[in-house]
Amino acid sequence: MCLAVPAKIIETDGQQAIVEIGGLRKQASIVLLPEAVTGDYVLLHAGFAISMIDKKEALETLLLFEELAPPGGRPGLSGPGPEDGDLGLKETPAADDE
Amino acid sequence: MNNLPVLSYLDEFRASGPAGRLLDRLHRRPERPVRIMEVCGTHTMAISRHGIRQASPAWLRLISGPGCPVCVTSNYDIDSFIEMSLLPGVIAASFGDMLKVPGTRMGLGGARARGARVEIVYSTLDALRLARENPDCKVIFFGVGFETTAPTVAAAIAAARQSGASNFFVYSAHKLVPPALSALCRMPGLAVDAFLCPGHVSAIIGADPYRPLAERGIPCVISGFETVDILQSLNMILDQLDSGDCRVEVEYARGVRPGGNPAALEMMNSVFAPCDAGWRGLGTIPASGLTIREEFAAHDAARVFAVDASYSREPAGCICGAILTGQKIPPDCRRFARTCTPDHPVGPCMVSSEGTCAAYYQYEFQD
Amino acid sequence: MTHDTETVQMAHGSGGRLGRELVESVFSSALANNILNRLDDAACLEVQGRLAFTIDGHVVSPLFFPGGDIGRLSVTGTVNDLAVMGATPLYIALGVVIEEGLPLHTLKLITESMRATAGEAKVEVVTGDTKVVERGAADGVFITTSGIGLIPEGVSPSGRGARPGDAVILSGTLGDHGVAILSCRQGLEFDSMLKSDCAPLNSLVREMLAASVRVHAMRDPTRGGLAAALNEIAAASGVAIEIEEETLPVKPSVRAACELFGLDPLLLANEGKLVAFVPEDDAGSVLAAMRSHPLGAEAAIIGRVVDPAAGAGFSGPFRVFARTVLGGLRIIRMPVGEQLPRIC
Repeated sequence: MCLAVPAKIIETDGQQAIVEIGGLRKQASIVLLPEAVTGDYVLLHAGFAISMIDKKEALETLLLFEELAPPGGRPGLSGPGPEDGDLGLKETPAADDE
Repeated sequence: MNNLPVLSYLDEFRASGPAGRLLDRLHRRPERPVRIMEVCGTHTMAISRHGIRQASPAWLRLISGPGCPVCVTSNYDIDSFIEMSLLPGVIAASFGDMLKVPGTRMGLGGARARGARVEIVYSTLDALRLARENPDCKVIFFGVGFETTAPTVAAAIAAARQSGASNFFVYSAHKLVPPALSALCRMPGLAVDAFLCPGHVSAIIGADPYRPLAERGIPCVISGFETVDILQSLNMILDQLDSGDCRVEVEYARGVRPGGNPAALEMMNSVFAPCDAGWRGLGTIPASGLTIREEFAAHDAARVFAVDASYSREPAGCICGAILTGQKIPPDCRRFARTCTPDHPVGPCMVSSEGTCAAYYQYEFQD
Repeated sequence: MTHDTETVQMAHGSGGRLGRELVESVFSSALANNILNRLDDAACLEVQGRLAFTIDGHVVSPLFFPGGDIGRLSVTGTVNDLAVMGATPLYIALGVVIEEGLPLHTLKLITESMRATAGEAKVEVVTGDTKVVERGAADGVFITTSGIGLIPEGVSPSGRGARPGDAVILSGTLGDHGVAILSCRQGLEFDSMLKSDCAPLNSLVREMLAASVRVHAMRDPTRGGLAAALNEIAAASGVAIEIEEETLPVKPSVRAACELFGLDPLLLANEGKLVAFVPEDDAGSVLAAMRSHPLGAEAAIIGRVVDPAAGAGFSGPFRVFARTVLGGLRIIRMPVGEQLPRIC
């Protein structure tokens, strides 16, 4: 059960935050994840951040999958060490929604 | 759906490349009967939607356990909430999941047609906002869900008390996953070799609560929700069975800490206390539900509103119970796809989009 | 001359002076044309040839949403129903039910939007009727439009026309309208740049038919989304349809909303999209024609029509399938009921 979606924290104000998913921004509560700060990726469930997404673990899982992928059919991992919070994948600008 | 990786931490895990290889690994394993139960509706849906069951080796049986909170909610709880929704001056707030669920006499949709004010909310804080915006009404929120959702309901109750929102109430029908898994293991005739454990419940409770199961020789792997996550988790389970070394492993390491989310657990435990709870199909399981603690009694709909739902009974001829325990599959039910369809659901496993019957009907069933 | 009445009142529906004022100051002034201006009981039209004739009721909450409003929707809905039959839309009849208390300004904005959309689609509103109902008996305003269009010689797309071997072409991204409406719903509000795709499709259809008159079937996937449209066509044509889910164009913010609220883009409403069934040999030229039109820039071939007997091992009433990541097929059923945001 329990839908939860990875969301990026754009700003925080006390227990409230604005999060972004694929160019969509929504109010969320971080009362259950007080350590969350701007730039973190969190799992969002029913309007609440419920867990921090661990970038290192995510990359390790992807690397494991990449080893398993047949030649030419690489998984979504592109390039080595990402610097800016996400997995180093190019984000399509929200302008694509215009 | 296009291949651009624009939903970070989702799209990367949806690349189909490794899926074939992971599936090959499953097929190359020695044949022997293995029954793996998933106890998460989102896993149930993914397995049906992505055709994982058909693609898996025939000796590997994937069975669906009580992983959908809507499906395990008893008719008594549904009827009680519906009775409350029909009281004068009440706004009944619920997640959209519950609207189509039939009760003994009617569902929430039927109550709305009879004049009940039913509001669908996405978050418990939206329900609390309804209470603030409608000071002359009593807002009752239908608290359903497992450990993932219960802390968000607890947070709303705590916020209501703090802000003096005395017209905000919760009917708590929450359920806890580990006690149900233990009860399942004790059920006679139920042979489960391993559990595919729910990723987002585990984000809150961590890995430790599954340890007693592993100690009894039942592998537990906490899995993510993409096809590759599930295939990888199945391989991890079979590795454990091969080696005979049964543990709790976390495949969904990007979202789950071994210790879970302490702040969320604290919030949940400060507002709720464990109680015995009736699960549809499983009966009453000790300490498997959550009741609102005495300090928050003023927000407890079950204490504040006296309603009579003694007429409650489970739908006749429905084998949801046996389906929820993995002993039967939907096509075993005489009603399935005949008198029980998503248009006219009889049992909750058909009405909830995460229900086993709905998943079968939606994606797998053939006449 | 509505100087002292800022909201619509019951008297506006009385058939007396106020009613006349409402029609003249709001409707006939904005939608003026030679036929409507006569304000006769019926419009007299001279049309030669095979006619397409349709009707559509429009209710939407809120009345104004990102990318459109009920006025625009009421024109595009009927224009598009005519267009997907291959017809050139010509005339529209209008029935408006107004809730007492609706600000006149709101009604004027809606009518102005109808005027602009009718101009865009090159159709004329030639007759109409208004009624006022008591507060609470309607939600602001309900608009029904009926329309006629002329079907050119040699063109005959219909819902029954899809044939095995046809390419299935979708004109653009799925779910924009459904998610734009969702973004306004209380409690679900979110910010995105997303707008409803609400647009008249007749000029796109004209380009498609210029590329090939052998377009077998078309449909605009509105309520019920693409899943409903494909199931309807497959059933009416007696064929099966296989789509490649990975080829479906969906905007990131629509995908995000679907992840967030547990929705399926295949089931979300569209108001400016069409799905066309075209013989394989003509698919390239039709696709190129669509892509050179602004409303078809993101058009894509999303699947093909197959013989139901060869239906991939599936028997029974199922006709629409999607290929999964693992290479199998899953059933795409006719949707049931409204899509509600869910948390599990």
